[in-house]
Amino acid sequence: MAKIKLDIFRFDEATDTIPHRDEVTVDLPETTTVLDALEYAKAEVDGSISFRRSCRSAICGSCSMSIGGVTSLACKTSCGSAMEEDGSVKIDPMPNFQPMKDLVVHMDPFWDKYARLKPYLQPNDADSAHQTERRVSPDDMKKLVDVANCIMCATCYSLCPVVSVDPAFAGPAAIAYAYRFIEDVRDGQRKERIAQISEDYLWLCAHCYACSYCPKHVDPNDRIIDVKRAAIKDRVMMNERGPRHALVVAKTIKQTGMLAETEVIQGTVGRFNIRGLLKVAPLGARMALKGKLPPPFLKPVPKVDEIRTIFDALEAPVR
Amino acid sequence: MSSTLLPEERALDAHVRTNSSKSKRYGFFPGCVAKESCKELFNSTMLLADKLGIELVELTAASCCGASVLNDTNRDVARVLNARTYAQAEALGLDDVITICSTCTGHMRAANKELRESEEHMAQANAILGKFGANYKGGVTVRHLLWLLIDDIGLDKLQSMVVRPLNGLKVAPFYGCHIIRPESVNGWESARHPHSLEDVIVALGGEAVDYAGKTRCCGFHVQLEKDGIASSMVGQNMRMAKDNGAEAVITPCPLCHLALDGYQADAAARWGRTDLPVFHLPQLVAYALGVSPEKLGLNKHLIDPREVMVSRDLIN
Repeated sequence: MAKIKLDIFRFDEATDTIPHRDEVTVDLPETTTVLDALEYAKAEVDGSISFRRSCRSAICGSCSMSIGGVTSLACKTSCGSAMEEDGSVKIDPMPNFQPMKDLVVHMDPFWDKYARLKPYLQPNDADSAHQTERRVSPDDMKKLVDVANCIMCATCYSLCPVVSVDPAFAGPAAIAYAYRFIEDVRDGQRKERIAQISEDYLWLCAHCYACSYCPKHVDPNDRIIDVKRAAIKDRVMMNERGPRHALVVAKTIKQTGMLAETEVIQGTVGRFNIRGLLKVAPLGARMALKGKLPPPFLKPVPKVDEIRTIFDALEAPVR
Repeated sequence: MSSTLLPEERALDAHVRTNSSKSKRYGFFPGCVAKESCKELFNSTMLLADKLGIELVELTAASCCGASVLNDTNRDVARVLNARTYAQAEALGLDDVITICSTCTGHMRAANKELRESEEHMAQANAILGKFGANYKGGVTVRHLLWLLIDDIGLDKLQSMVVRPLNGLKVAPFYGCHIIRPESVNGWESARHPHSLEDVIVALGGEAVDYAGKTRCCGFHVQLEKDGIASSMVGQNMRMAKDNGAEAVITPCPLCHLALDGYQADAAARWGRTDLPVFHLPQLVAYALGVSPEKLGLNKHLIDPREVMVSRDLIN
């Protein structure tokens, strides 16, 4: 047994204007899950501590909270693994959400983004036209199994740095779930779904892999890349900056072996998009003053033909 | 056919013939940005290598690692491009490839992991490399200079080499996503609670500033996708660092450097002025190990670090 100090964020939107923290000491082994420690604290010390929970087995996705500064499922995280040097475990509501009471947050923005996907199969033909089941090959189904494991705990959404600065971004879970329908051979709305998720800022993903902390190994980070590739393959909203950026990067690497910074900026913003270029101009000017502008043209690296051979052999798309 | 030899091939050829070099030799992959807008990073890395007594053999014919963007267009091309780079290193007898960019580290390691763990991927890569007579056997390890400092040099040795301690300069570490995440690819230290940069800061005589933003994203990869996104991410993180007492920032990633150094001015309207100077990892290490500050390209930074350095009696 050890003394574990639960350092808990306390707030009630009905009565409080600012949050405070309570420290509750519990005598439990360090292997105790944070959820069990909270249950113990609620039962034995302070019945007013609020948190969501249901299954206690990492299946329901209710008990996501920030533990030691990183969002995790409380039922899957031991107190010992998140303990500070002074023996305390810092517990906060999920970031990127409005707190409601203590560790309970308003989940609405997360559900709203999920609902926008129309998260159900939309086949092209009516069910009545089918005399047999719609069949999916094992290979086609394999692609969807990992994503179907998503328990919508919002761990990824709460850790997403883009959501934290731009609430319009769909977030990792919604994009991963869009993939689940985009790649389902039974669905008839592939292009519409890609267009919808592109409008919800698919291309605003910052490639930071914060969503690789997914407790169910859905790895939204990889599914986001899959959806982007689907968008390029199906040529959906190709004039947006995201696909332009990806394809001009590919082009400069194929031409020179290097990512040519100057051409990538022009190619992404648009060489003739004067207003767009003016917006990046002040930073460019500041860099120029410091002699820090990237070169306007790059000399190809030695043996660049080998690089072009690789692109051609893989039929990799470039702008 | 010596005229077609690459510089590194000529150099290694000379070494073998004269057996002149006894220092530890590494393959060196500088990445695109250190050769383009952050040349000060490349230069200070080479000066640091001299001080450390190691030899960085630049792979001059290597391609871009894919920069996390190439994956968006094709599933295989970045992996095969990196296989070509590893084949070049292997052919030179260099099994250790050192990077100076978090994004290069993560994406080159991801490609290497796929190649080494999947016979199918390795066969696909070698079928294409074979068209120009190259082959990758899977023997290369990709590491960041930060890891080399700790694993190969050692923090105690590093500390003993310091001739110009940082006089308690309060430095906030900024890791850059791809050197820690995903953990399955990097795994050299905890992605949630890394401390290698802190350890280096302390070894150099500085004080490491803890703040929640240190493992977060700088926004570099979406700076062009939508106005104001990267500057907001920079402002948010630099605000946290500043509020926790930071006087400067250190990063092992030139992409983070471009964002943090470039966007703090734009972020000021929403997040307040932070004006934290941002050092490339090798700049600050090289400074402490005695490289003349004039040679480190500190004048190339948009937020000039020299003012803070004067206030701590690090330079006149």
